Amino acid sequence: MPRKDDLFFYPCTQCHAAMEPNAEIRSLNTMHDSELEHGRGRIWCLSCHDFRNRDYLRTLLDELVDFDEAHLVCGGCHANRHKDWHFGVHGKRVGNLQGDRTQYNCTHCHNPHNPAIQPRAPKAAPPVRAGLKLERGIEPEKSSIWDSQEEREEQ
Amino acid sequence: MSNGDNAGKGGGNFDKARRNFLRGLGIGVAATVAQPAWGGQTFQDAFADFFQKDYRRMSAEEVEAALERIESKALQRYGVEIDCQNTPPQPGVVYGYAINISRCKGYRDCVHACVKENNLGRDSQVQYIRVLQLNQGDFNLEHSDHYYDPEMVPVEGKHYLPVQCMQCDDPPCVKACPVEATWMEPDGIVVVDYDWCIGCRYCMAACPYWARHFNWTDPEIPAEEMNTNTHYLGNRPRPRGVVEKCHFCIHRTRKGQQPACMEACPTGSRIFGNLLDPDSEIRYVLANKQVFRLKEELGTEPKFWYFSD
Repeated sequence: MPRKDDLFFYPCTQCHAAMEPNAEIRSLNTMHDSELEHGRGRIWCLSCHDFRNRDYLRTLLDELVDFDEAHLVCGGCHANRHKDWHFGVHGKRVGNLQGDRTQYNCTHCHNPHNPAIQPRAPKAAPPVRAGLKLERGIEPEKSSIWDSQEEREEQ
Repeated sequence: MSNGDNAGKGGGNFDKARRNFLRGLGIGVAATVAQPAWGGQTFQDAFADFFQKDYRRMSAEEVEAALERIESKALQRYGVEIDCQNTPPQPGVVYGYAINISRCKGYRDCVHACVKENNLGRDSQVQYIRVLQLNQGDFNLEHSDHYYDPEMVPVEGKHYLPVQCMQCDDPPCVKACPVEATWMEPDGIVVVDYDWCIGCRYCMAACPYWARHFNWTDPEIPAEEMNTNTHYLGNRPRPRGVVEKCHFCIHRTRKGQQPACMEACPTGSRIFGNLLDPDSEIRYVLANKQVFRLKEELGTEPKFWYFSD
């Protein structure tokens, strides 16, 4: 599934062609969001973005990777997840049961700069059957039925 | 003579009563024709519905006629032209499902996609999928809550376990049905012939997973939300008073598509595939992940696995 269409700044060379590359490790606070949760300070921009050509990403082996193939970069560290993703167990796939499928890339779901999935509101709860009342705030383990059940088991 | 007179008089009374009765009958028939007394159907359709056989005993022409009746009934009730099909099972395919419970966040997108896809009544309280919320480390389903409604999910210290029909390989519901209105298809999907079901709900009592649901009311579906891609054994508009259940989106999966719940899941925790295809994702899960099934000790052999990684 293509990804470049969703990128706000792409192509990056629009700006970066005119800028002198600066390899000094620092945090950015002009154009880009300076928050980088990913790696908790162990990595920085140029760990994944290529130094020479900003339109590409780079792997740990210093290979250029297109933004549409970002999973190759992620897989450099997250090899087990990458394997699962490759076999269709991690990540989302849509389309046909057999034959052609569309596979989502890592960066479709995970924000590469803050990869933990954020909590979200759930969809509406199912309605309670007519005539019944939904009782909230009851700890099932502490309700009397379970007490008596456990007592019976103890005896 | 008096005898004869009496006889003559009696005969006259009888004739009058007979005439009144016949007149009443005539009015009754006329009224029947004038009002939609056959549920809005023609007399022939109602007659054919009444004598419709079990799905498995119908000839191809009879199935075709039944499908046409279903379509015309839907047009009358909901004002929507649906396409009811009878796609046969694909050879060499047995469907299986796996859910990654470490990835499920309890968003309930699958539940709502299922309601839409399968033309479930919006007010009928029938939902094929329930997402159970359990305390972390707790697998006692009796402690679960599927009415959870917090601001944000996942809630700290809880985990989520979606349950639906497990499509057992040895289904207790099928054994319980006294009229054989439910059975397992060659591709492993347990289906219900809604026209043959008598609504006795024995199957609901037999099912250990609470996967079967009874239609207490006529399903209310807005015309614009009606899914027109339907299947005889699947999501066609159901009558009131029959039992229905998840059918692995038979109208989609038999054409090679994925079920609606799987397409709707934003987390990718649902994995669906052909158990007989060694290259399928589900086979990879079964070979490489630690999987378990619910209530395995009952020996119902569900084709529905859970795993975490």
